[in-house]
Amino acid sequence: MPKQFITGNEAAVLGAIDAGAEVMFGYPITPATEILQGWITKVELHSANAEENKKLQYLQTEDEIAAGFGVLGAVLGGNKAFTASAGPGHILLQDSLAMAENLRLPFVGIMMQRGGPSTGTVNFSQQEVNLAAFGGNGDGLRVVYSASSVAEMYGLTIEAFNTAWEYRFPTIVLGDGYLAKTRKTVELEKPKKNISSYPILEEKNRVIHLRNCYSNEEALGKILKKNINDWKKSAPQIIKSESYLADDAEILILAHGLVAAAAKEAIDKLRQEKIKIGLFRPITINPIDNAGLKKAALNANKIYIIESSLNQFSRIIKYELAGLENNFIEISKPAEGFTPEEIMKAIK
Amino acid sequence: MEEKIIKIILAGEGGQGIQTAAKVISAAAAEAGFEVSYIPSFGVEQRGSPSVAFITISPKEIHYPRFDNANITMILQQRAIAAVLKYIDAQTTVIFDSSTIQPTLFKNQAKKILGIPAMKLVSEGSLPKASNILMAGVLAQLLGLPDVSTWQVIVKTLGKKFKTEADKEKNRQIFLLGKKFKLEENSFSQPILIPQSGQIKIEGEGKRAIIIPERCKSCGLCIARCPAGALAFGQKLGLFSLPIPEVDLKKCTACDTCSRFCPDGAIKIKKIN
Amino acid sequence: MTNFSPKSWDQASKPHLFCPGCGHAIALKQLGYAIDELGIQKETALGIDIGCSLLAWNFFDVNTVQTHHGRTTPVMVGYKMAQPEKIVLAYMGDGGGYAIGLQSLIHAAFRNNPITVVLINNENYAMTGGQMSPTTETGIKTTTSPLGKDIKFGPGFKGPELLKNIASPKAFIARASVSNPIQLKDFLAKAIKNQSENSSFSFVEVLSICPTNWKTDVKQSFDKLKEMEKYYPLGEL
Repeated sequence: MPKQFITGNEAAVLGAIDAGAEVMFGYPITPATEILQGWITKVELHSANAEENKKLQYLQTEDEIAAGFGVLGAVLGGNKAFTASAGPGHILLQDSLAMAENLRLPFVGIMMQRGGPSTGTVNFSQQEVNLAAFGGNGDGLRVVYSASSVAEMYGLTIEAFNTAWEYRFPTIVLGDGYLAKTRKTVELEKPKKNISSYPILEEKNRVIHLRNCYSNEEALGKILKKNINDWKKSAPQIIKSESYLADDAEILILAHGLVAAAAKEAIDKLRQEKIKIGLFRPITINPIDNAGLKKAALNANKIYIIESSLNQFSRIIKYELAGLENNFIEISKPAEGFTPEEIMKAIK
Repeated sequence: MEEKIIKIILAGEGGQGIQTAAKVISAAAAEAGFEVSYIPSFGVEQRGSPSVAFITISPKEIHYPRFDNANITMILQQRAIAAVLKYIDAQTTVIFDSSTIQPTLFKNQAKKILGIPAMKLVSEGSLPKASNILMAGVLAQLLGLPDVSTWQVIVKTLGKKFKTEADKEKNRQIFLLGKKFKLEENSFSQPILIPQSGQIKIEGEGKRAIIIPERCKSCGLCIARCPAGALAFGQKLGLFSLPIPEVDLKKCTACDTCSRFCPDGAIKIKKIN
Repeated sequence: MTNFSPKSWDQASKPHLFCPGCGHAIALKQLGYAIDELGIQKETALGIDIGCSLLAWNFFDVNTVQTHHGRTTPVMVGYKMAQPEKIVLAYMGDGGGYAIGLQSLIHAAFRNNPITVVLINNENYAMTGGQMSPTTETGIKTTTSPLGKDIKFGPGFKGPELLKNIASPKAFIARASVSNPIQLKDFLAKAIKNQSENSSFSFVEVLSICPTNWKTDVKQSFDKLKEMEKYYPLGEL
């Protein structure tokens, strides 16, 4: 694809289109609003032809609750459907995400994190990791991707649709307000092949009765056991991570999303000063690349966990790398971003 | 009453008053000075699905309301057996309604089985919905709780359930019946108070009336809505071992009202020829 | 079994789990007959809410999805967008429709989404043990209005009338009662046809009985229903 100069939100829309998305449900909320606007603009003003225009749909719903459940309805009907939201809207989406988690529905959501709790700021945070991975009243069988660049807003959105329809877990792409609004030069790569969607509330030879409510503990327990088994089996195919100059790193940074991008820049500068520092960046926060984490941490004697939340990321890391706590240095700044300079200063 | 921990399970059809029986007996045991814990199974509240109660009576503090094995298991409906089989083991005494239940499914795994033809007794006493009061009496017997104070606790707990003094007295007699009943030990009553399988078909007066007993919940809607007064509760039993309607084909006009109102698809009357 | 109950009923799930004498089952029977008569069993998709309506999850021989409380309407709106050729039904109670789900019900009517909503009104939250609902009338005792529902919580909620005010003129809106199953079936059929033939929204509220939570016998149940019909008038709006 030719080079483009686009924002993270615009990249998300392009990703949805190139993933074969057919319908979007959403409610305006900063900093994700442009995703809804962009999709609707594409459908109404920039469809390639009349056929495409007819096929693509949207609904600006009365609230995010309706948006999330609209996604589920469309998915049950076999459409690749998605929504985009942030902060308080992400909270309201937990109702539908819980239903998706129970019924294994391929819900795709793009969440552009903003400061919380409550209305907070519309700007930036990494405080929606818990919501995305473990929100709702289940045990967190949701796939969560954390995008660290405008290009990843495109690529991970496409991956989210394919993961969701292949493995049937609700899938979220976490971005943030800065990524949403940053306009950047990017060279995107179109996907080679997309998985097809299919109607879920319909089968050729039998009637489908779907329920998410059971009369007793054992009945639900059985369903959960199966879902957990599927999760464990699928995790190796789903996990994604990036190791940046971590092989010989004595100082390791663990970060995700845009904070990891800032860390990369800091690392480049520190490497010029001959400091052996590297980054391990989980791209899937859930399921997370445990083996990759362990390998990266092996030779490091200092491990910095840097995030724009209190401990939503570090809690996960500490669980995965239990035993290495002595080497951890947690740098947390809820709702505030890190510049590369800040990271350099903190490490030196 | 023995000074050890007694774990009791009550199981029956939803709507049979299992929880009422559990509530009154646990209240009576609490009144008698014991530590008591009672928890109902409270899955999605369905009336067509087994209702189970867990009661623990102990001389000392009880920490957890549920358990794996019961000392006493009381079963009031055939369909409830599956729900409580796993709690029955070599320490369990099972008391069952021998007028509606065949004990084959549990008799070998229990320590002892005791029967009482509960449904039969309460039907004869014209209080078909009082089997839970009867069973409260049986439990009071097994636990050695005193007659008078236990009945007083029952009255206090059930509050306005008894509409008249006569009604209250009838129930008290049922309670005492259960309290004094010599439980069947070796030879049990026959479980005849169960619905007939298949259809009951009668023809005449140019009409055919079919009732499916296993679908009939004895709700009485068809009887109440019949414009010709052709339906009334009869002798045969339905899903809950309660009477199902019978048809007077002379009065019936095959207007289809009964079928239209039946929530369960248990009745259909057609003109033939 | 066919003439005892609708062909579109799933027989494996019978006897069903609704209480003896439950109005839901009377309504579901007429809904089943409407589906039979319109010949739409294969094209129908049914969404059900949380509450006693959830007991209908395997009630019909029709693709059915149980949703979350108050969310049946938005799920079926989304489903219809993906499967516009299907006949899409959303089935709920007075809590799911007029309390937690009212927002979405209003907007579906407002947008004239071509779905058919059937709402069973028995003036209480039955599954959870009989709490007051928006449609509980003033003075009626429930577990959360032990002295009778106070006017400060609003009188009985008139849903069809509300929707009539904001729906498209092409919408079909009616109130039926389980006291008149023939009229009920007629309204259900008309409602479904408004979806399939006019691509428009349709809504049928069904006044219903709940002997279990009302603690009434059969006669008392129908007497109360008669009183309800005085306050909640039957007919097409």
